Amino acid sequence: MTNKFFQLIGGDADIGSSKLFWIGFVIVVVLFCLYPTQVSEFRASNVAYYLLNIPLGLGIALLWGYCGVLSFGHVAYFGIAGYTYGIIAGNMAGNAYGPMVGVLGGLVASIIVAGVFAYFVFYARVREWIIPILTLVLTLILETFLGQTAGYQWRVGSVLLGGYNGMTGIPAFQIGSFVFMGYSFYYFCLIIVLACYVGLRMLLNSNFGQVVIAIREDPLRTEMLGYDIRARQWLVFVLSAVLASVSGLLYVQWGQYITPSQVGLYAAALPIIWAAVGGRTSLLAVVIATIVLNWVTYTLSSQGNQAAMVIIGTALVVTMLFFPRGIVIMVAEWLGQISNRNKPVDKVSAHE
Amino acid sequence: MSNGIALETRGVNKRFGGVVAANDVNLRVESGELRCIIGPNGAGKSTLFALLCGIQRADSGQIFIHEHDVTRMQQFKRVRLGVGLTFQTNRAYQELSVKQNLAIPNPGLSHTSERHELAKERLEIALNGFDLDPQDETIAGELPHHKLQWLEISMVLAGYPDLVLIDEPTAGMSRDETDRTADILKELNANGLTIIVVEHDIHFVKSVAQKVTVLHQGKIFMEGNVADVTADEEVKKIYLGHAH
Amino acid sequence: MEVDALALSLAYQLGTNAAFLFLAAVGLIIILGMMNIINLAHGELMMIGAYIATITHHAGLPFPLAVVASFFGVAFFGAILELTIVRRFYGRELGALVVTWGISLILGQGTFLVFGPFMPAIKIPGGSSSYGSFSYSHYWLVLIAISIALIFVLYWIYRHTSYGLQARATMQNAKMANALGVPTARVYTLTFSLGAGLAGLSGALLAPTSTIAPFMGQQFVAPAFITVVVGGATNVISGAVGSSLILSAVKTPIGMALGAFSGTVALLVAALIIIRIMPNGISFTIQKYLDRRRNKKA
Repeated sequence: MTNKFFQLIGGDADIGSSKLFWIGFVIVVVLFCLYPTQVSEFRASNVAYYLLNIPLGLGIALLWGYCGVLSFGHVAYFGIAGYTYGIIAGNMAGNAYGPMVGVLGGLVASIIVAGVFAYFVFYARVREWIIPILTLVLTLILETFLGQTAGYQWRVGSVLLGGYNGMTGIPAFQIGSFVFMGYSFYYFCLIIVLACYVGLRMLLNSNFGQVVIAIREDPLRTEMLGYDIRARQWLVFVLSAVLASVSGLLYVQWGQYITPSQVGLYAAALPIIWAAVGGRTSLLAVVIATIVLNWVTYTLSSQGNQAAMVIIGTALVVTMLFFPRGIVIMVAEWLGQISNRNKPVDKVSAHE
Repeated sequence: MSNGIALETRGVNKRFGGVVAANDVNLRVESGELRCIIGPNGAGKSTLFALLCGIQRADSGQIFIHEHDVTRMQQFKRVRLGVGLTFQTNRAYQELSVKQNLAIPNPGLSHTSERHELAKERLEIALNGFDLDPQDETIAGELPHHKLQWLEISMVLAGYPDLVLIDEPTAGMSRDETDRTADILKELNANGLTIIVVEHDIHFVKSVAQKVTVLHQGKIFMEGNVADVTADEEVKKIYLGHAH
Repeated sequence: MEVDALALSLAYQLGTNAAFLFLAAVGLIIILGMMNIINLAHGELMMIGAYIATITHHAGLPFPLAVVASFFGVAFFGAILELTIVRRFYGRELGALVVTWGISLILGQGTFLVFGPFMPAIKIPGGSSSYGSFSYSHYWLVLIAISIALIFVLYWIYRHTSYGLQARATMQNAKMANALGVPTARVYTLTFSLGAGLAGLSGALLAPTSTIAPFMGQQFVAPAFITVVVGGATNVISGAVGSSLILSAVKTPIGMALGAFSGTVALLVAALIIIRIMPNGISFTIQKYLDRRRNKKA
């Protein structure tokens, strides 16, 4: 049982499976655990924001990097989950179970929209370029819709959708009477992010994950081995939408507001950039890129820099031109080569 | 496998634009047969395989696999009836390891337990005969061409089929490699695997085939044993006619 | 009389919606059909076309000439994009999508930084007439006419010019065409440049009907891409025409009854349903129908 666990977590569906890697991994996790004890609640909260975006990035890595299906519109599920949570938890304000029901409702709403959408595209077996386009169109339409919901007539129960100013006063998450704010929210994010990473890594090392990778490599060959690839792609799409929803839920619990721009073009570009720059075929590379790039954009925008989108766009173009497999992955492989230089035959050199 | 019809087509037609790729094809392969399909380039051999597997849909006619009507069945469901296919251009997963290539097919997708045991034996025969190790971490793309062909055949067998369609297995192989392929296929066939092979190499056909079907312009031109077919003047003519 | 007027008005609405969809999509669909590249910077190329037209027009150039200037200006810009970036992504559909998206972000925000949030609008040229209780903008009638003319011009280019012949050969089999002496690299540059130029032309033509702003390209993204998805890439011209007509027939009544936003949602829903039935788009279905008819004759 434990053996199986270690096999799944340590397999080669992601970079890093050596003992040294796992020691480093544990050290980094411990450092993240200790971080809040050294800084103010405000700074811990900033880092919590970087962390809460990770599931969204992981969702894109799973879908694009491992399954070969590109979505430009996963922020739609981020938004759907966030808004639904806001509506439900807002209407149940004062009720300790409100946030829990809100989380459930947000996930269900995302799953329904993603499931219906994915049914149409995958069961039609459309060409691969159609999916990114339609996902983008979906999220832009959602933005347009939410943007025109200003005014008192656009309310659900007691919660106003709020048009371009967005929805405000969204309740924080709570279990029983314990409300997750500041430091505690930081740890809440850290646990969820760790669970998402480890869970995904195990999934991808399992037979299910291997078939997902096989679909990316050659859909027809995989189908001719007896797999219903439409059902697999559907499931992976919905799962990645759930990951995007997790980020959306954490986001509204963190800032207690959400605006339509969270499902707009600029927001939609960000997870693609994290995945491309980090290296979409590695979960860990995307995690690292998500943290670093969020820190960069946060720093830029807090300095009032208006060129953020130009810089981000340039980063994307440069990565696609010169580091098509991702910067973090290339660095990791380079490190792997150095540490394995003295061994004559090993797995890393076999991968080259 | 004992008696019964492994595969049958009734009046299958298919055209692409103005090209007739299958013209009233009536093919019948019994369980346990090793059938070769030959014919000049463009005779419709690969199209026939695509129609049998469901990658292409017939314009008209019916297709039966193990006496199930599969004419309108999705391709992965046909595979689950116990059919395997290798492609004309090798489609092993070149970016993945040999180990992964052999682990991806799922033997549990269909089948009763007695078929299961037989199929398992056949996989062992192939792996030993082709000298492939299911724990090998080598990236498939680094294998030499003939090994890659053998890998794809073994992958298909790892799905535990009882009927396999093999499209030009020996293209690009040396004489020794071709002979080895022929030997293994014969051994697999002796263990109950029904095999249909599309092949150009007449040396290979002579060494394996029990019965040969000649396709020409999408039509079944002739069917019979190897000696008769290769001696036939008309068959020689269509081959030569296309060569010049 | 009133029934006539209503029918005429409906026809006019259908025509303007179809013309809008066709103009929004034509540059995109040409690049897709010939090169298998999805240009996500399409909306921004239209925006640049609108900016060139606005700036030159306000500088004194007559509007028709400003439109022509937009075509050539954006075509030139498109050629540069192809030569420097896009050509590295042939055969990598998803890579091309992502890189052109990066380009679109740079162009949108870059324009904002250089020109600010708004440009003075262009007045809609020409007046309007009325029949019954409905009125008709002359400019939109001209746009419908231009769309029809464009269809014929494109058809003529592909059928009767040496570029068209080379482009069709390249589309069918680039390697073979290259071996036979077709300069495929130049054909790709020209095709991308033509598609970009048409995006610029459309952006300029639609400029008087829109606010001129750095992110105006976004409003064309949804309609243009839906038109392309529904049209498919089998036959560029029949796909663009068939798809804009069908989608206009969906959008017009719903838009008239429930408002513009519902019309756009209806477009997306229609696209999802149409691709479920025809995964390769309308142009593929048309092509198959034509093939079958030809086979019956033969």
